[in-house]
Amino acid sequence: MTRLVIVAWLACSGLVMAQGLPFVQAHCVKCHGPDKAAGGVRLDDLPADPARASARWLAVRDQVRDGLMPPAKEPRLEAAKRRELVHWITLATGATPARLPNQGNQLPHELLFGKPTVPATVASTPPRERIWRLSPSGYLGLVRDLARGNPQGIVQPFGLIEERGIRDFAGLYTIDEPTTEILLRNAETIVEMQLKSVRELRLAAEAENPTPAQLTTAIQAQYRLAINRTPSDDEVKRFLSLYEKCRKGGSSAGAVRTMLQAVLLKTDTLFRSERGGKADASGRAMLTPEELAIALSLTLRDQRDPSLLQAASKGQLSSRDQVATHVQRLLDDPKIAKPRLLGFFREYFGYDQAVNVFKDKPKEFTHAPQQLVADTDALVLHVLAEDKDVFRTLLTTDRSFVNYALAVNKQKGRILEPKQAVQPPRAGKNQKPPAALEATYGLDAWTPKQPVTLAKDTRLGILMQPAWLVAWSTNFDNDPVRRGRWVRERLLGGNVPDLPIGVVAQVPDEPHEPFRHRLRVTRAASCWKCHNKMDELGLPFEQFDHFGRFRTTETVLDPEATRKNVDKKGKPLGMVYREVALDTAGAIRDSGDDKLDGPVADPRVMVRRIADSERARQVFIRHAFRYFLGRNETLSDALALQAADAAYVKSGGSFKALVVALLTSDAFLYRSRQGEAK
Amino acid sequence: MNLETTRRDLLKGLTLGAGATLLTPILTQLAAHAAAAPSAVRKRVIFVVQSNGIKPEHLMPTGIARPRHGRPTNAKTEEASLKDHTLHRALEPLAAFKDRLTLLHGLSGRIALSDHSGNHGALGAYPANKGPMGQTIDLALSEALPGVVPHIGLGLAERPDMTMNYQISASARGKTVPIQCSPELAFKGLFGSVARGSGREAFDRRTNLLDFMAEDVKRARGALAGEERAKLDQYLEAFEALRDRQGRIEAIRDKLVANVPDLSDKFKKPTETNRLQAQFDLTAASLIAGLTNVVTLVSGGGGQHYISFPELGIPVGGHHYGHGGGVEGKTAEDCFITVRQYHARLIAGLAKKLQAVKEGDGTMLDNTLIVYLSDSGDGHHPTGYEWPMLLLGDLGGTLKTRGRFLQLPAYGQKDHRTTANLYATLLHAAGKPRDTFGVADPGLRDLDQSGVVNELLA
Repeated sequence: MTRLVIVAWLACSGLVMAQGLPFVQAHCVKCHGPDKAAGGVRLDDLPADPARASARWLAVRDQVRDGLMPPAKEPRLEAAKRRELVHWITLATGATPARLPNQGNQLPHELLFGKPTVPATVASTPPRERIWRLSPSGYLGLVRDLARGNPQGIVQPFGLIEERGIRDFAGLYTIDEPTTEILLRNAETIVEMQLKSVRELRLAAEAENPTPAQLTTAIQAQYRLAINRTPSDDEVKRFLSLYEKCRKGGSSAGAVRTMLQAVLLKTDTLFRSERGGKADASGRAMLTPEELAIALSLTLRDQRDPSLLQAASKGQLSSRDQVATHVQRLLDDPKIAKPRLLGFFREYFGYDQAVNVFKDKPKEFTHAPQQLVADTDALVLHVLAEDKDVFRTLLTTDRSFVNYALAVNKQKGRILEPKQAVQPPRAGKNQKPPAALEATYGLDAWTPKQPVTLAKDTRLGILMQPAWLVAWSTNFDNDPVRRGRWVRERLLGGNVPDLPIGVVAQVPDEPHEPFRHRLRVTRAASCWKCHNKMDELGLPFEQFDHFGRFRTTETVLDPEATRKNVDKKGKPLGMVYREVALDTAGAIRDSGDDKLDGPVADPRVMVRRIADSERARQVFIRHAFRYFLGRNETLSDALALQAADAAYVKSGGSFKALVVALLTSDAFLYRSRQGEAK
Repeated sequence: MNLETTRRDLLKGLTLGAGATLLTPILTQLAAHAAAAPSAVRKRVIFVVQSNGIKPEHLMPTGIARPRHGRPTNAKTEEASLKDHTLHRALEPLAAFKDRLTLLHGLSGRIALSDHSGNHGALGAYPANKGPMGQTIDLALSEALPGVVPHIGLGLAERPDMTMNYQISASARGKTVPIQCSPELAFKGLFGSVARGSGREAFDRRTNLLDFMAEDVKRARGALAGEERAKLDQYLEAFEALRDRQGRIEAIRDKLVANVPDLSDKFKKPTETNRLQAQFDLTAASLIAGLTNVVTLVSGGGGQHYISFPELGIPVGGHHYGHGGGVEGKTAEDCFITVRQYHARLIAGLAKKLQAVKEGDGTMLDNTLIVYLSDSGDGHHPTGYEWPMLLLGDLGGTLKTRGRFLQLPAYGQKDHRTTANLYATLLHAAGKPRDTFGVADPGLRDLDQSGVVNELLA
């Protein structure tokens, strides 16, 4: 990152008024100075140049940005002044991108989408070259391509970090020893299967004394399948020598297998290479056609796309326009599966986690989280197919798929027809049958005509899909805090500090109280500092119970009635509940967009207001950037992000247009070759 | 001592050739001994981690009662000899080993408190939900008690196709160590070189492949810089470490052949009990063959991973009876006891096998410590104020664990100790003394949380 350029530019530009050191001296040193170092923190000895103590300056920035400082008893800083300081420190420390996926918002939104805040040379410096380990699904796609099928006994070697949201970042993964053991075993399995279907490999393996020519042909075939290129003479020589070594101690069949397994373990096979070809005078290098074929394949699908590989071999991925043409072609072709597109929405919204939230089986209705997820998948795909105003539609549509699956109707000549996915459960003897799954959506009966338009003023968009509500709930309750954090991070681009060590975040066990009341414990001063960013954004979703069902009152335990609910002998007969008034009010505060801030009466008001917000749309695009580029955005990506936003808006909210813009940006296509000073 | 650096330094000077395979294990042992205790007696530690919590009552000797409400509040250590008591029926299968075990109560683990499992915090003594924040005690001990294979992690997951559990052990900050939940894959990895069939040839081909790959990754690495290069550093080290291990396995080939377990029946019918039994069998065989000195056995464990045991008459997962639900006429408590008895039976079986092997003046069991605990402290929804444990064996006389019930001072008392103190104690006993471990409990701010559990250290 050309930090030096930024600092020099800052010094020359008029942006000196928010200069950090005078600010710190005026506002911070009186409590964090030589006489009184509150919390053990001294700020009087900060160097004027943030780059010389970037960790400390960034800590100052984060405290100010998140409103943790100044403390409540001191006068509040105006939002604008706070923002200026945050920007200044970000720029002056060189704006190193945060490493972890959920830290991407640390880069202030205004610096990316505001009027040019960085010099043009910085704003368009491509990222450094990198390698990117295959994701778990990418690995499975590779195996399918190699073995031309799905071999039995393949163990998934790769994992992703245990985190919420977008997880496959290039900078986070490599291969360690236990993973290598799995890769070795898998390589054996894959080669065994390949010998059945790949002629060149089989010939070499079956020959009693294969000739160097036969072995070379096999090596080249394996290279083509695994790495999509031809091996150099030197590479072939080394593989042949491996064969010879193994042959000495054993059979030729074993030696050939080992030689072929080795290709599958090469870094080129397991890591995506993004280094670029020949660099121009300023050190910019476009990814080679071979690299692009793999990169584009893995970005949209989990396997190499034959049409892209072919295009590369014909030199047709050598310019931005050519890339645009191919990306558009892939997006428009319904016959080509693009699981990574749905994958983005699953990771962004997180609704697929509904299956991981354990709930006791309800007696009076059906809870089938896998089907809820499938329904939301269907809704997302439907909106993507229409491809109009995608962001707003996803947040505010009143349509939904309900207990929906497509099944083959063999009688009608094997066409796919909608069917009720989860059958209503049968009733026990003398018992009322539990309500069917469609009741969760508020429907009395299932209908084949889908998507359904839901009842007015009940449920809108993904955030009120049962899958999303369940995914962001706990075993027994709603989770307004985490829902609020989701909105703060993924729609408002905000930051929420991590739960401090030693704090046990538990709501009191008061089943006779509405959840909103139980959550009052977060209003304590030390908690509210962070909870004010979350709670009020999540509480509107109290409109629904923790199974995602719409309600107008809240059911709580009635301890008095329960106590009285005994038989003649005094044996308790069970718990009695009562309904209490439901409060769905919340508020958007300190979002960074004045038009957004303000109280909200219910979740529908909230999502409609957010859907109209330019900032929220741009935060959505930042997340799309992270997913498709496998890293957090930096200041150098500002122009790419702005261009992607413009393309999205200009196309009337087409997600395809957004994807094309991202995949033809400098951030995707180019790498820097000269060593960057940072 | 950073094990990885030492290994690489050793490998730098070695070349292929018959001599290398013989030289490496000796060099490694020397290096290990130089860093570890001067004692030449082999020591080994086994952690048996069972999901769903251990209710303190199950580890109480008969005749000694816990307070009717709440938890013990003793300011001083209370203890009793197990000579005059029997074990709770949940531990009945361990009766024969009563005089070798300690029922350890009173350690807290509030730092690792979570709504369910403490995850890496159970063996790491740090927060439960921030991923692997540091090295867990099993991996720390594997550095103190190095073996051909530094550490073996074996486990039981809910389904046979779930092969790895990443939520219990860690070798360093951010580096989780997977627990292998497929007994078949574990067997292949540990005994593959001597398994019936063309094991020998395959073993040699593997050695050649590892050499080749190390060279290949080195070349690829040379073209990169900075963080990108560091990614391949790790991949390179993986091949180098595996290659190094080939030599060391070669050196103990005879012992492997003599101890290779026959698990074919259990592989054919992969019920929960067969899978877990197979893992215990592999543990015993690996220890006896000298493959390793530290094993972590995990039943369920991490997150909300609970096992159902239809073979024991408990077809529901631990979450069900963890919430008080019964099944098929059994109460929740019945379920807990049945499952705990089963695990006690497995531990007793393991101890018996170690006892049957002579070592020095005694048996292997004399130089072993088995630590039985849950990753979820004292219950399905743990309190963290107590983390009951059972210690079997005295690690070559370095621990005082023979036939004791120990109730250490309660949470908040002046002399209170935590799981971190126990782990420090184990490291003392293993010859790599440390006085702090994991992250201190902020709820015990006024207490000096460093140091050992003096009652246990010999």
